[in-house]
Amino acid sequence: MAVEVLLPKIGFSMNEGTLAEWLVEDGGQAVEGQPLYALESEKSTQEVESPASGTLKIIAQIGETYEVGTLLATIE
Amino acid sequence: MSNRATPDAATQIEIYRRMALIKANDERSRKVIMNGRLVMPYYSPRGQEVIPSAISVNLTDEDYICTIYRGSHDQLAKGLPLKDLWAEVAGRTTGTCKGKGGPMHVTYPTKGIMVTTGIVGSTMPIANGLAWGSQLRGDGRVTVASFGDGAANIGAFHESLNLAAVWKLPVIFVCQNNEWGEHTAYDKTSNVKVADRAAAYGMPGVRVDGNDPFEMYAIASEAIARARAGEGPTLIEAMTYRFFGHVFGDADAYMDKARKEEAMANDPVPRFRAQLIESGIATEELLAEMEAAIEKDIDEAVEFALASDFPGVEELKRDVFAEEMA
Repeated sequence: MAVEVLLPKIGFSMNEGTLAEWLVEDGGQAVEGQPLYALESEKSTQEVESPASGTLKIIAQIGETYEVGTLLATIE
Repeated sequence: MSNRATPDAATQIEIYRRMALIKANDERSRKVIMNGRLVMPYYSPRGQEVIPSAISVNLTDEDYICTIYRGSHDQLAKGLPLKDLWAEVAGRTTGTCKGKGGPMHVTYPTKGIMVTTGIVGSTMPIANGLAWGSQLRGDGRVTVASFGDGAANIGAFHESLNLAAVWKLPVIFVCQNNEWGEHTAYDKTSNVKVADRAAAYGMPGVRVDGNDPFEMYAIASEAIARARAGEGPTLIEAMTYRFFGHVFGDADAYMDKARKEEAMANDPVPRFRAQLIESGIATEELLAEMEAAIEKDIDEAVEFALASDFPGVEELKRDVFAEEMA
């Protein structure tokens, strides 16, 4: 079953975040607990770990801003 | 202290089980939020596991606790089932408050978890009310009020201690001094030990190493026995350290790095674990089995919560007015 990569709420007043960078390429191997993408929100950027291990299928685009809860990618 | 109470072997293991549960639940909470599966304000109790674990083994299900938003450690130590907790913080109908309380208001009277509040310092007057009720009924219950060091500077702290002392209420005031009041260091707002303030109201006040299960157990057991015997309240200032920022996502740049590293290197959970094995109280196998069981329970609780329904709009007014209680 595919695991969803969802945009987290990482701050009390955060409602959206900008996808700064994918740290694993589309079709590449994501590893649970390893950095998967960089997220920019509330003036800071942080690396977010992968929720699962498997093949990454990217949906969200670099530089775009998304609401909390948006499906950014799936891992199969 | 003379004649200090010491937890027996089974109690030591139970204190550790509660600490391990709190630690594992905290780690999972942060992971689930970071994975975007759950959106909620989260105040990590990591680093403060010993305090409620060593206190609660001295309490019964009938005894009361009142805690605050950084309170999942207090709730779990007092016996809140994981499924009920997770469903509530996820805002689902299967939660302790039917999903309408959320993480800031977890309440579970079945285990004596009478209130979780988002208002700093508000546990103390509520605890007095519960304790007064017990005193009037003569039911022998005690109430533990948890609060932080920042809360010791608000009016309700002083008013509550005064009243509790005058009326000899069966209440134990537990200040979890984690050195931080939200984003402000304790020494920037207070010149004295919290425990010393007890003298002003004529009750015992004691500062204790809140990361030492034996000390914490001994002091708590004495204060609880005192309250149960009708001798009145005690103020305990339990010294600890908050491992993370005030709220999840807080970059904690204001926290002194060296102090934080020192505290984390002295993590009370693995420290007590090693101590139990070294003293022959528990084996590595027993504790590993216990920790695996905790992880499994958390797995089930998270999935149960996320598969449960959100309350419908028709629930909005229900349970607000007496005639609409369900």
